[in-house]
Amino acid sequence: MPDHTSRPVPKPDIYVPTQPFWQGAREGRLMLQYCRDTGRFQHHPRPVSIHNGRRNIEWREVSGNGFIYAFTVLRVPGPGIGGRLPLRIALVELDEKVRILGNVFGKEEDSPQIGRRVALAWDHLDGGIPYPAFRLVAEQEAAGATP
Amino acid sequence: MTRPEIVITGYAETKVAFRSGRSAYDIAGEVLADLLDRYGLEKADIDGLSVTLALSEASNPFFAVYMADALGLTPTWLNAGGIGGCSASGGVARACSAIRDGMCRIAVVLSADAPSTAWRSDYGAYRSEFQDPVGVQGPPAAFGLLMNRYDHQYGLDPEALGKIAITQRSHSLQNPNALDKFRKPLTMDEYLSSRMIADPLRVLDCVMFCDGGNAFLVMSETEARARGFGTYVRPAAYAEVTNYAGDQSCPDMTESGFWRIAPEVYRQSGLRPSEIAMFQPYDDFTIAVLMQMEAFGFCGRGEGSAFVRDTDLSVRGSLPLNTGGGQISAGQPGLASGGLNLAEAVRQLFGEAGERQIDAPRNALVTGIGTIPYGRNWGTSAAMILEV
Repeated sequence: MPDHTSRPVPKPDIYVPTQPFWQGAREGRLMLQYCRDTGRFQHHPRPVSIHNGRRNIEWREVSGNGFIYAFTVLRVPGPGIGGRLPLRIALVELDEKVRILGNVFGKEEDSPQIGRRVALAWDHLDGGIPYPAFRLVAEQEAAGATP
Repeated sequence: MTRPEIVITGYAETKVAFRSGRSAYDIAGEVLADLLDRYGLEKADIDGLSVTLALSEASNPFFAVYMADALGLTPTWLNAGGIGGCSASGGVARACSAIRDGMCRIAVVLSADAPSTAWRSDYGAYRSEFQDPVGVQGPPAAFGLLMNRYDHQYGLDPEALGKIAITQRSHSLQNPNALDKFRKPLTMDEYLSSRMIADPLRVLDCVMFCDGGNAFLVMSETEARARGFGTYVRPAAYAEVTNYAGDQSCPDMTESGFWRIAPEVYRQSGLRPSEIAMFQPYDDFTIAVLMQMEAFGFCGRGEGSAFVRDTDLSVRGSLPLNTGGGQISAGQPGLASGGLNLAEAVRQLFGEAGERQIDAPRNALVTGIGTIPYGRNWGTSAAMILEV
């Protein structure tokens, strides 16, 4: 039986080198792959730029600010969920024009909607390992002057 | 004509079963023996084999070779189909090319899988690091996201999805090969009150992994005539695309590869959407059926809900939909899934669909879907038009 109560920490560097993502998380920074040739981000990480097929890629910090592109509430158990059902999952489009899947923190009555602004928050896997997530940004905060 | 006509002269299909306790090999053996019996062929006549990679045997990179060994076949053309639910129609298309190139004369396109008995598949790659911690391990969360986005852009009527589920269920009642559990009628109330899996995805929008298999006999029309086959169908068009929008960081999630390949199969066949006699789309989830209705031009983009509400999709209707119940109501035989929709199309075109037989079928549009990428819709889209 799969363990549905824990939140195991994945092994990095299995598919492609990903240490900068995990090191950034430890420092509270969201690091994503960036194609230096085309000036575009991509996520999940790849062995080449999906934009031009070259390997002129680096890891860059992103703001973590963006909006909800798509949203769901998962209600069925599975590995890695760690007793968090119902679980709020969003596909977030960051201001850097790249999308990332993340869980959404916030009060239960504050239902996330497509287009709603979010900001980076930090979730924790087993052993306190930080993992990127998002929090809903208050309407006035989103409408106000840029920080 | 410079291009010899290639035709499908036969098919075989097992009943769909849940936790059958059998292997993909054993199921394949049943399918092959049935195929030989039904069409009076000898094993030695078969010199081409396409094998769909199975979830239950996914740890074996030599699965297709082992399958040839298990079945005692000695193919001079062997294809391992790794595009999931596109592997059956894609296997037929590849067999057509192989026969035209003289690599074999008679090919069997075989799919058998038993994931509800043995799951030996590990997708690996980026999933453990970037999907699992978020809780997006499998299709439900991914399709919940897709449905939410579709609803935002176009509006999604749950009763339209319910009608797809109910219509297909009414068809599985007449399909003796459907999973027994699903051979009971479904009402809109039952659909609407079925459990939410990943909002707005309900359990009755989903397929269930089962065990089962199917196979198709492919050869040139000349060979078919020489061997006395009186009944066969012609793959008049085929197109597929993998990793559509895969070079974009922010693609429109509601636009699938079907938007690219639909015009291609209409161009190849010379048919218009209004001329399609039956629609046998890959149906892992009801939303995929609705989105394909738009992509294949049965209605405008975003008009899927209204089209489903206003259209009779039954076997007596204007666009008969998944006339054997589809995977949603016959059960998904693992990655033999694409062959389930294809077998139903061939059966209907052969006039062998019994009480669910549609009148005077001229053609069928069959589709396939393979795998679900990160934050998009699906990995491979395939479509085939068959004509009598």
